[in-house]
Parts: sequence; structure tokens; C-alpha cells
Amino acid sequence: MMILSRSVALISLFLLPLLTFSFSVDNPTDRRVLVLLDDLSLKSSHSIFFNTLKSRGFDLDFKLAEDPKLALQRYGQYLYDGLIIFAPSTERLGGSLDSKSIADFVDSGRDLILSADTSASDLIRGIATECGVDFDEDSSAMVIDHTSFSASDVDGDHTLIAADDLVKSDVILGKAKIEAPVLFRGVAHSLNPTNNLVLKVLSASPSAYSANPSSKLSSPPQLTGSAISLVSVMQARNNARVVISGSLQLFSDRLIRSGVQKAGSPNQYEKSGNEQFVTELSKWVFHERGHLKAGSLVHHRVGETDEPAIYRIKDDLEFSVEIYEWSGKSWEPYVANDVQVQFYMMSPYVLKTLSTDKKGLFHTSFKVPDVYGVFQFKVEYEKLGYTTLSLSKQIPVRPYRHNEYERFIPTAYPYYGACFTTMAGFFVFSFVYLYHK
Amino acid sequence: MMAGSGLRFLVLILVVAICGAASVFQPISDSHRSAAVDVFVPVDGSYKSLEEAYEALKTLELLGIDKKSDLSSATCENVVKVLGSSSSTLKDAFYALSVNGILKCKTGEAVLKDIVSQLQAGVKGAKSLLDFYYSVRGLVLVKEQFSGTDLSLGDAEAIFRSIKTLSQTDGRWRYSSNNAESSTFAAGLAFETLAGVISLAPSEIDQSLIQTLKTGIQKLFDSIQKYDDGTFYFDEKSVDATQGPISTTASVIRGLTSFAASESSELNLPGDKIVGLAKFLLGVGIPGDAKDFFNQIDALACLEDNRFSVPLILSLPSTVISLTKKEPLKVKVSTVLGSKAPALSVKLAQALSSRSKDSSVINSQELKFDADSATYFLDSFPKNFDVGKYTFVFEIMLDDSANEKVYITEAQTKVPIAATGVISIENAEIAVLDSDIGSVESQKKLDLTKDGAVSLLANHLQKLRLSFQLTTPLGHVFKPHQAFFKLKHESQVEHIFLVKTSAKKSELVLDFLGLVEKLYYLSGKYEIQLTIGDSSMENSLLSNIGHIELDLPERPEKAPRPPVQSTEPYSRYGPKAEISHIFRIPEKLPAKQLSLVFLGLIVLPFIGFLIGLMRLGVNIKSFPSSAGSAIPALLFHGGIAAVLLLYVLFWWKLDLFTTLKGVSLLGVFLLFVGHRTLSQLAAASNKLKSA
Repeated sequence: MMILSRSVALISLFLLPLLTFSFSVDNPTDRRVLVLLDDLSLKSSHSIFFNTLKSRGFDLDFKLAEDPKLALQRYGQYLYDGLIIFAPSTERLGGSLDSKSIADFVDSGRDLILSADTSASDLIRGIATECGVDFDEDSSAMVIDHTSFSASDVDGDHTLIAADDLVKSDVILGKAKIEAPVLFRGVAHSLNPTNNLVLKVLSASPSAYSANPSSKLSSPPQLTGSAISLVSVMQARNNARVVISGSLQLFSDRLIRSGVQKAGSPNQYEKSGNEQFVTELSKWVFHERGHLKAGSLVHHRVGETDEPAIYRIKDDLEFSVEIYEWSGKSWEPYVANDVQVQFYMMSPYVLKTLSTDKKGLFHTSFKVPDVYGVFQFKVEYEKLGYTTLSLSKQIPVRPYRHNEYERFIPTAYPYYGACFTTMAGFFVFSFVYLYHK
Repeated sequence: MMAGSGLRFLVLILVVAICGAASVFQPISDSHRSAAVDVFVPVDGSYKSLEEAYEALKTLELLGIDKKSDLSSATCENVVKVLGSSSSTLKDAFYALSVNGILKCKTGEAVLKDIVSQLQAGVKGAKSLLDFYYSVRGLVLVKEQFSGTDLSLGDAEAIFRSIKTLSQTDGRWRYSSNNAESSTFAAGLAFETLAGVISLAPSEIDQSLIQTLKTGIQKLFDSIQKYDDGTFYFDEKSVDATQGPISTTASVIRGLTSFAASESSELNLPGDKIVGLAKFLLGVGIPGDAKDFFNQIDALACLEDNRFSVPLILSLPSTVISLTKKEPLKVKVSTVLGSKAPALSVKLAQALSSRSKDSSVINSQELKFDADSATYFLDSFPKNFDVGKYTFVFEIMLDDSANEKVYITEAQTKVPIAATGVISIENAEIAVLDSDIGSVESQKKLDLTKDGAVSLLANHLQKLRLSFQLTTPLGHVFKPHQAFFKLKHESQVEHIFLVKTSAKKSELVLDFLGLVEKLYYLSGKYEIQLTIGDSSMENSLLSNIGHIELDLPERPEKAPRPPVQSTEPYSRYGPKAEISHIFRIPEKLPAKQLSLVFLGLIVLPFIGFLIGLMRLGVNIKSFPSSAGSAIPALLFHGGIAAVLLLYVLFWWKLDLFTTLKGVSLLGVFLLFVGHRTLSQLAAASNKLKSA
């Protein structure tokens, strides 16, 4: 055992420089993912989800959540790019892991999939709270919906929800529409209203509520209607992405394979939308989609090619920036019609939407305002589901030089005329005065 | 350590219990078959190892999926190679023979002799349980596949005894004599090995040996583990065991089956535990892992065909009965792999309502049998059978008493049943009352199927009353689980009230005076939403009744503010409005023509001046004529002209500095020439005066 662990340590020491390359700016997709389970049988019961990840080239490392040898870091380097916590009942993580180290993991720009379930532990709730998501405090509560439950709900307590209120975002859920409802059985959560980084991906229907299905309600439930989020995502300011699900079964083979028919609806589907939903969501969370990269900002006067050191007021300039999107394998040109540039000094003086050539180049032209000072070109691009771009470049703007004003003002011609005729008169007069006889 | 593993399997059972519909266990069905094709996918037409190939082929064979032809050529090649080579290990040989048993590859007689002698040598030289297992089971496979081969085992009893030394007092076994750790998985392997020894033995084995083995089996059953829903399973004691509960249970079942098959005397195993084991394996659902899948199917197949007791499983296609659709309650009884059960009758012993625990609604009613679909059904329910949750207790009785020795069933199967129906909603009314006298200000009948029909007006001194009556199909008052009255203000602030159901009707009275604080003193329009729902209610509804205009007092300073509402994510992002800079407007200038006209006017005085000079008859006759004084005069005037020209140039293109330089140079020049010229002129005029 000792020899084994020592050799593992040695091997990883050799691999360390190699491993650090795998998470980089140029290749944002995660590669090494730690999967924490509270029971190894989940590996088998959720195999479809794990296999799709493996087939996309992820290196999954399955560990028990209570494994005393757990570690996210070694020698200050993170060992993983992503973390999947499928351990809803774990009260304490093994090794040196706790909710703080998981928050640090996310703070370092790495990604997390967290799944709770009914009777989620305080640890899981705590991690979710860090991400701006509050699970129902009643540990026996489940999401109940008497109007949009799945007709295949065999126990008849309407806790198997057929949810179809998905976020309208191609980047989070993929271009192909998820036709079949997504099956969900689990616990409700709500979003912290003061946190605007987190958003609902799968919401409950207006008739849903969160309560214990087997006991009478004595007070109104805390969470009702579409305020209930079933699955939420959070994109932190450092572009770390987090998926929080109230149901572990959502990812299970059983619900992925299950057919679905929403109660009262004539549409019957052979397969639930779960597989597509979890696959697309995992593509998003592990940065296979929606990760943007911008080239440097380029600007120059109209008709020139070099970037000037300073602009004069009222100069006409051309501005361009290149933006690419990561497709999971390569950088593809990003196409959108809502990228904007600001010409900014304390507040934006000019804010213009850039037009694209569909090859990744976004450009526009405008006139420098007639205010001088130190300006910035700012591209602050925030779009639902995409990573945030924040670029800026400083450039001073000067007023006209003395010789740049208009020289011959027609209005002043009478004055000039007066001067010059007086001068001519003086010249003539000097002869007359001196030499008249 | 134990606590850790206990917790882990608690989770497993949670998953099982939640996924597997409480305690209804479905036998293996087509969903397993379609999943098996996905799970056992060969890579490039063959499996990685013969072990995997065997597991895949065996599972597919047990499930009745024919895939042999696709795989046989590549896999058989491998089998022949392993069997032909003398350097292959016992394990490889064992799996090669196992695969051969399914695929029936063509192997030569010479190969057979080699392999038999290799296995026999293996038995003799065996040191660990696994060596015994592979060699003995290998010989058994040879015996099954090739009849008439000489398979003398030597002293079978001695081998039996040497294997037996590995058994422990608690029924578990060790892998080898120098390994102290005992394992349940190993126990299964040991039973299988010993069964092989018995079947290969030329003469009968000493009964006392077999008897001690049987007591060992009973001991092992004492250590069986149990879940609350009546499922049983075997598991390893130590946490870092490589085998999970599925493979451990499967190993024990496999061992028991082959042991029972090899032995003529009866093996008395507790029936409820056998059913519990079957339920455990069924409760796993469809494993995604190939190994678990094989273990599950293989163990169930062993249970399906064994000599101690074949469990029968009672399953229900649906545990929800709709009273409106008048659907019969269907029950199926089959073996674990879903094949037909012998003739039997199913009795509904009791139907306990969740409301009144003691009294049974239905008492011992026999279910009818439909031979075509092999289902038992209950099509008529008693008059007092209302919507709600029930626990049905079924009993299975075999028709033929001879079958009772072969088959085993649960004494009673308890199944939770939900009966649903349409709940009638009547006398729905909403009214605004005056608080003091209780007189009705405005009262509206409600049609809950229509949206937005109601608009009410109220102030904080009034009350709102909502009432409706819910009755079950049998006319009883129905208390729904969900009866919410929701007020939603324009600013998205929501308030939810429960509608309480009393003995007669459901009623909610909102006294706005007591609620002003809770409503955060927000006056304005509130949307009213009513949600009524229950798991037994087929017509659960969500109705937007309409709105109420509330006139509440002003918010005092200290009152709490309404909570922050989260903003719509779509509005949070998206492009901002464009900003274009507004440039300073240039000053208004007169038209160019006007300036030119004035320029013309400005030139006029100069022309007048010239004309005036002409009229006056000016001359320049006193311009010096001698060259000595004319040159300085010319230079002087030239200098003045140059200065004036410089001014013109200053206006036209020169800047101030060049101009000043020019002016200063010309100035010095002019000073001298001017002085000279003027002094000459002065001298000349003095001469004239004096003359």
C-alpha cells in the first residue's frame, strides 16, 4: 500500500507539468473531472450521463465523498478542472475538503455540478448557498405538482415532475430544442434575488409547490409556483460555471431511459428530455460551448492603418475587435449582432453596436466627440450563457491645435478687406505725403 | 467503518426506493433487453477480454437476445488460442471454456486433452480458493461440453477437505489459508467449487462433510442484511472490499444454486429471504455497468431455475386506479425473469385506507384471471371505495400443492395504491365584506374554469371571503393537499394563503386590517390565483380568478420594506441603447455672399480715396531725382511694401513667429533707410526754406 501510494505520488510528480497544460486560456474545456459519490452504485445507475462525458473525452475520477484521501490540490496546483458532486446525503467530505475548499475551487475558475436530493445534507445546502441558491429548508419537502406531473408516476403522489419550462438560451441548452419534458423528482430551490449571476434553467410550473407529500400542510409552503427552480446555473465573474440540480435522479439512467407523457397532454414521448438536457447542460458547464475569446482592440483613423498615439476631437476613426467562440475543439468565429463598443470617459460618450463580417471580426466607425481628455475603448459583452468579455484600451483625445482652426472665415472678409485697403491706402499716402509738390 | 458503509447503502436503498416505486418490484422486462444491447456493446466486433465476452454473451443469452453470430468468429478465435496455449492461466482457460459453452466453437480433441490435464494439475497444485474455483469449475465445464472425457479428480474427498479448511465459523470464507480476512463473496465461490467437486467425484462424498457445509450456509444466512422494504442482500464486511452488494449477492446465489443442483438432499433455505434477495436484485433497476448487469441477470436466472425455491414476484403495471375511467386493477404474477407462473390464484386480502388505518374497505376478494394477457384483475370495487390512498394486501395461493415445494411467494405483498377521481367543485364564491357589520359589499359567483372573470375593490377595513365546496364522487367532503390562494402585486410581491377545509366547505377569510403589514402597505392591483390540487384529484386546477384593487394606508416609516424581487434574466443582459455624441453646434455665420457684398463695400472708401487723390491732383514731383538719394527712398518704400506684403502673407500662410522675424529684420532695415530718406527730405526742405 505504501509503495503504491508512493509510486502514485512519483508518477503524478512527473505528470504535474503536463497536467497544468490541460486547463488553459487557449483550451478552456475541462479535461479532468472529479466525481464525488456517496455510493459507488451511482456510477452504475447514472452510467449514461457518465458515459456521455467519457465519450466526449473527459477523464472522470470517481471517488467516494467520504474517501479520506480526497484532495483537490497538490503542491498548490489543482488536480482537476471540474467537480461533480453527486453525494446529496454526505454530511462531511473526506480528506481536507469542505465547503470552503469547494468555494475556492470555483473561485479559481473551475466548474462544478452539484446535485442535491430530498434530505440533502447541510454541507450540500451550504455549498449551494455559496452559489446563490437556497434549497427548501424543510428536509422532507419535495416538489409536488398536481397539474404537470408525469403520467408514468407510478406511486401517484405527483412528485415525478414533467417540467418543460426551460431557459430560452441556445448556448446553455444547445441549438436543438428539447421537445420532450424533463423528468424531475427532488427538492425545490429558489434563487437569491440579490445574486444576479445565477439563473433558472429549469423552472417549475405555476401550480407546483414544495411540501412533504405525505403530510397535511399546516402553513403555506415557502416555495410555490414558478419561483421554484428545479435546475439552476451560475456563472461567476471569473467565468467559472456551476450547475445546481435539486434532483439526482434527473441524471439517472432510469429517468433518461423512461418515456414521458405529461398528465393531461396528448403528446407522448418515447424518451424523456433528460438525456438531451443533461448532456447539453454538461457541455455548457464544462466550457464546451459559450466560451468567448477576444483578440486585441484595433483602432485607427479612417484611411490609415496604424494606431495613432492620440486622437484629435472630431477625428473619424475605425474600430474593430475579433471575437471567437470555443466549440469544444477549436475556436470558431463568433457571430452576433449585439456586440457593442463604448467610447468612455467617466461615462460613455459613444456607444455603438458593432457589425460583423461573420468571420469573427466586429467593426464600426464613428467620429471622436468634441470633448478632450483621456478616453477608453470599452467592449463589455455580457450575454445570457456566454462568458463575459471585458476589454478596454486607453486613448487620449486632444483639442484642435492653433493652426488647425479654419483660416479663411468668409464672414471675416470685410475685416480683412478693411485692413488691406487701409494698408494699401497708407502705402499710397506715404508717397503722396512725402513727395507731393 | 461500518457506519460509513451503512450510510452508503442507505443511500443506495433510497435511490432504489425512490426509483423503484416504493415496494412494487417489476420483473425483468423489455426495457432490460433494450438496455442490455446498449450496455454490452463490443468494441470492433469483440470484447476486451474473454471474461467480458462471457458476461456479455451469458447476459444476452439469458435475456433471449441473439447476438452470437455477430460475435462468434472473433471471439472463437480467441477461445481456441487460449485453449491451445499451454501458458494460459487457469482463469483464462476457465473463461474460454465458459464462452465455448455458449458459442460452441470448434475445438480439437488434442486441445481438449491438454486443457483437461492442465486443469487437473491446477486442482492438485491449487493454493488459493480462486485456483480451486477456476480449475474445478473448468473441469465441470469440460464435462458439460464434451461427454465421455476422462476427468478423474483423484481423491475428491481430500480436495473437498482442503477447500473446506478455508471456511470460517460465521459462514464466510477466506480466499487462501494465509489470508485472514473472510469474505462473503468467497463463500459463493466456495459453494460453487464444492458443488463442482461433488459432481466430478467418482464416488459419493461423506455426508457429514456436506452436513457441516449446510450448517455453514445457515450461518451465512444469519449475516444477511435487510432493508426496510423487505429486501435482503449479502455484502462484504470490510469497507475497501472490491465487490459491491450486487456482485456479492450474485456470487452467493450462484454458489447456492449449483450446490443445490449437485446435491440430492434438500437444502432448507428461508423462503422470505430468497424472495427478499430476488426483490433486491430487481430493485436495482437497470444497472449501467456491464458487470452489475451480468451479476443481476445471472443471479436472477439462478433464482429462476433452482432446486430450493423459485420466487414468484407480484407486480402491478400501475398503482394508480382511476375511478372515473373505471379501469380494473391489474396484477401480474411471474418469475423474476418475467416468465409465466404456474396456475395460482391471487387474493386481495385487505385494502387499508390511509385515513382510517384499522378498517379495511375490501376484505378477501379473489381476483379474476385473464388467460390471454396472464393478468389477474379486480374490476368491481365496493360502493364505499372512494378516492384516496390505500394499502392493498395481496396473497398468492398456488393451485397445485405440488408446486408449493418448487415455488416460493411472499406471504403477503403490500402495495400502496392511489385511487383517483374527479372532484366536483361547487358553490365557488368570492365576496368583499364590510368588517364591522359583516354585510356583503359585493359577491360574485365563480366559474373556476374561466380566467380573469372577477374584478373587486376593497380597502383595509374590509374583508375578502372565498369559499367553495369539494366533494368526492361518493359525496364526501374532500380535503385537498394543495389549496392555495395567491395574491400577486404588480411589483411581483406574492402572498400565499391556505384555504382551510372544514367539515362542510373550504373557506378563506382575509381580514385586510390585520394583513396590511404583511402586504407591506402596497396598494394597487393584485392578481388572484387559486390552486386546488391533490394526488387523488384528477381535475387539479390552477385558476387566475381575476384581480382585486386594494386601497391600503400609507406605509409608516418603520414598517418593513417589501423584499427584493429577482429580475428577469433576459432583461438583465442584451444590448444597451446606442449613444451617439451630440457635437457642439457651430456658431451661426452670415451667408458668404453677404460677407462678399460687405467686402465690396469696404473696398469702396479706398477707391474713393484714390479718386479723391486724383481729383486733388496729387503728384510725386519731389521724389528725389539724383541716384544718391533716390535709391534709399526706393529702398524705404520697398521696405514698407515688404512689411505690408508680410502682413498679407501672415494672413495667408505664415505663422506669427516667421512674421515677427521678418518684421524685425525689415524694421531694422527700414530704420536705417527711413532715417536716411527722411533726413534727406528734411534737408531738402530746409534748403528750400532757407533759400
